Amino acid sequence: MYEAMTASVTASMPVSESAYGFTQTDIEGQALFSLPFGDIVNFLTPYTAVLFVFALTFTIIALISKPERQVDTVMGGDAYYTKDISRETLRFQRFMAIACGLATMGGIMAGDVFNFTLFTAFIGITNIGIVAAVKNKHILDNAFEYGLLAMIGTLPLFVGAALVLATTGTLSMWILFTPEVAVPLFAKLLLVIGVIAEGMAPVFVAKAEITRAPGAPYILMVHVSSLLIFLRVIEIVISM
Amino acid sequence: MIAAISAFAATATAITTSATGTAGTLTSLTVGEIELFGLSNFTIGLVGAIICIFISFYALMREKDDLHRLLLTDLIEVIALIAIALLGTDLAEALILPGLVVGVAELTAMSQIYIVKEKLVREPESYLDIEVMHTAPAIIAVGMLIYGIILSGFTGGAVAGLGMLFYFACKGTEEKTEILEKVSGYAWVMWVVAFIVFMTLPAYWFFALMLAGTGILAKVAIKISILGTMRKNDGSGGRRSMGGNGNV
Repeated sequence: MYEAMTASVTASMPVSESAYGFTQTDIEGQALFSLPFGDIVNFLTPYTAVLFVFALTFTIIALISKPERQVDTVMGGDAYYTKDISRETLRFQRFMAIACGLATMGGIMAGDVFNFTLFTAFIGITNIGIVAAVKNKHILDNAFEYGLLAMIGTLPLFVGAALVLATTGTLSMWILFTPEVAVPLFAKLLLVIGVIAEGMAPVFVAKAEITRAPGAPYILMVHVSSLLIFLRVIEIVISM
Repeated sequence: MIAAISAFAATATAITTSATGTAGTLTSLTVGEIELFGLSNFTIGLVGAIICIFISFYALMREKDDLHRLLLTDLIEVIALIAIALLGTDLAEALILPGLVVGVAELTAMSQIYIVKEKLVREPESYLDIEVMHTAPAIIAVGMLIYGIILSGFTGGAVAGLGMLFYFACKGTEEKTEILEKVSGYAWVMWVVAFIVFMTLPAYWFFALMLAGTGILAKVAIKISILGTMRKNDGSGGRRSMGGNGNV
């Protein structure tokens, strides 16, 4: 069924490259390799390969490193104390950080707009998880606000993907990246807004309270994932 | 505003038709075939969805209570699903499910954060304790056990085990679960021996069949009944020693 669908799509589509060749993106050109799952074909270009290696490195760092312990000094005195991170918190944060890294890698490799939006939504959930592991009133308050924003962010993200499907009839980037298919600017805009709300890449100020949460390499994953997924959506939007 | 949106949607459908023109069978999805006041179904639906978006965002802006804001964000996610559903194709149907799962996952995570942040976590004072749990276990367990033995095999084991689970969960047990584990182990060995007989001495298939049927019955039944003993019970007839005041 899938193969028949793909065959009909590739046969009827006047693709500029060969339909069996690698797709052409507007950043760093042709894809390096592809990984097909049925009619969803993931790929890496030189540009996304760099992002992928970056995400992989930080996932490995989160996997092997121990958390830093924040030191607070008491105002007006010589006393200071280090924050202790319980084993339970550490395990949960580490799990969430690794899940976040995997979701980021998935989003970077995605060859399908809807898969990309789903992975972005997963990054939002895991980011909430990393932050919410810390049982501190201020941090939890902030995680709640951040979570609300991430939930609202699924609206432009999914509506953007739905409009891409409605206007072009496909979600596959292999067809969307060809010059024959025009994606409306509004759909692209919605995708970018969705990623901003999920990962909050340019809105770091809103995360000020979040960075107060102890557990350095895991909290860092929040920033790395949002930055990488933002760079990826820029590639998608420019190439479409 | 709505005029602009409908104009956009009109161009969207125009692009769809042009894409259909160039791509042949590529766009088999027929977005908005029925026309009403010169607008396609898809356009009307999209305009409706956008109105809903404005209403829900306005509500979210006005609302100050955290719990209500959480509920309103769920409303917004439903609108996102509506926007996908408007396409009305099999593919859209396939996309709704992951979208829904993501929405539910986020909602669950957020409600957990809300509970922890508002310190609404509370140990339940008494667990389920109803009359049927004092009167029925014996007869139901015996009935299910007999029926399970008649069925035999995996299904019979599940039925018998369920009866035993109900009995242990209601009546409590003082037994050492290690004994049950040991019987379960022997039952497993019986099952394996039966399979070896099947393969090496096929002439004795009936004996092997009986052995396997009994073995799997005992194994599954015991494994399930162990679940009943997991509820740390002091044999006081369904009352929990922890938390409750025990005056039921």
